[in-house]
Amino acid sequence: MRSDSALLIVAHGSTVNPDSSAPTLAHAAEIRRRKVFADVECAFWKEEPSLRDAIFLFDPQSVREVYVAPNFISEGYFTQTVIPRELELNGRTTNRSNGQLWKYCEPVGNHSMMTELLLKRAGEVAQDADPAETSLLIVAHGTDLNENSAVAAKREAEKIRTLGKYAAVLNAYMEEPPLISDWQKLTRSPNVVVVPFFISDGLHSYEDIPRLLGIRSCHPKPLGSFTGSLDSARDDVESSQREVFRHNPYTAGGRSLFYAPSIGTDQGFADIIIEQAAKFDSEAYRDRGTKFIAKN
Amino acid sequence: MSNPAAPALESALTDRFHFGQILVRKINGAFVLSHCGDETRKKLKTFQSAEDAIELSKFDDSGNYRPLKTAPNLAHGWRLELARLEELQRALDYFYPGRLAVFLAWKTGQLHTTPLRETLDRQSGMYRVAAKISDDQIDNVVGDFCRSDGGCLRTILWKRDQRGTVSSAKLPLEKFDPACDQIKALGRPGSSAFAEATADKTTPAIATIPLLCQEPCNLLVAECRKVVKGKDKR
Ligand code: SF4
Repeated sequence: MRSDSALLIVAHGSTVNPDSSAPTLAHAAEIRRRKVFADVECAFWKEEPSLRDAIFLFDPQSVREVYVAPNFISEGYFTQTVIPRELELNGRTTNRSNGQLWKYCEPVGNHSMMTELLLKRAGEVAQDADPAETSLLIVAHGTDLNENSAVAAKREAEKIRTLGKYAAVLNAYMEEPPLISDWQKLTRSPNVVVVPFFISDGLHSYEDIPRLLGIRSCHPKPLGSFTGSLDSARDDVESSQREVFRHNPYTAGGRSLFYAPSIGTDQGFADIIIEQAAKFDSEAYRDRGTKFIAKN
Repeated sequence: MSNPAAPALESALTDRFHFGQILVRKINGAFVLSHCGDETRKKLKTFQSAEDAIELSKFDDSGNYRPLKTAPNLAHGWRLELARLEELQRALDYFYPGRLAVFLAWKTGQLHTTPLRETLDRQSGMYRVAAKISDDQIDNVVGDFCRSDGGCLRTILWKRDQRGTVSSAKLPLEKFDPACDQIKALGRPGSSAFAEATADKTTPAIATIPLLCQEPCNLLVAECRKVVKGKDKR
């Protein structure tokens, strides 16, 4: 990186979930510590600093180029419409009136290193489970109007499957088939590892997915009988919800179930964010240029 | 690593100053931060890393999440000691994200403001409807949501529209003046910093770095949407 390059990590953030921005802030602090960039800042759609504030975050004297890395799982409404509009980006690169050049990178979840990170996380959460006797489930939201996370989860599952390491590798969704609540029908192996393909932990990973998996002790419904609204108990977020990651393995239907925190909380995300910025200037990136649509 | 806001911060630094509800004091060459109402309070819990500010700023005194960091509900009971200017800058950035950079841009004449109507017209998806809000409704919603006593401690620099109409006729003129310390509007009894700064007119007011608002935030846009949706239902 040039000594006058800065990094802006853009994430969604939340007005209700205190854990939403935590991984993004942690990755920024880590990248800042490594001194790869002259400056590292974050901006959020739903928190501060806002995307509009981001325009003023970098000193035009000392920072001449800014890599914008969207901390999102996939391309979608936010990366293609909201971020370009709010940051006043008019293409892959934007020349600002203050002389800065802003470079709009692909979403972090799109990077090929994501596959390795998912494998690492799956291995860490189920250290004693032999992968040959283990099914790996990559979970995304599904029917999400704003992100194509279902497609991204499918892509990652396919990539890991071709490695032939795990007995089975499947993508599963919360709200569309293949449903994560059907995990016992979807898998046959004695061990099952579930990794949520989300940027941060929140209600989905603390409450909804555990409920759909049937591992929430406070919701003692029989497995497979869950029909309730995923939106229920929205107000009920407590920090104790991280407990759900501390009781692996769960035993259900004679199988061992290992449940990991959202992939975006992995420290390895910091490496991928840096790589995503580095990739911008590389040959490989140019293939994708035409997919970018900036709506002004 | 460069610290873009550091020079501005340095020039604004006095031995004690307010930044929102934070009182910053320079004691024996180090920086000591606390809630401005906690200056004389004993038994404060001491922290020593700039990153501690992330958690300190996350919840209010009742443990509720603070979606708007510039809301006047910073938690009490802590003291943050930092040795270096870079750490001070980082901590202040966690407490009030982006506000130092915006202050610097304003000081150097590079800040541009965006009128509310322009922000609303730019919205897409579920927020597009917010643009239908009437001028009267804006007066009320901004007057209530942005007010310093209970809403937000920022100084509003943006206008309602391109014509330069004041953002809300229901807010006092001080709300638009960066020279005014917005915490004075709180008038909270027991706040010694407030008392010192206001009660004794012979004492010069404590220096303040204003929290500037150059464009309506997304929370205000969401409020405007709520008002419009409420009207639709009637
Ligand atoms: S618009 Fe500005 S002043 Fe009003 S609440 Fe949002 S940040 Fe505060």
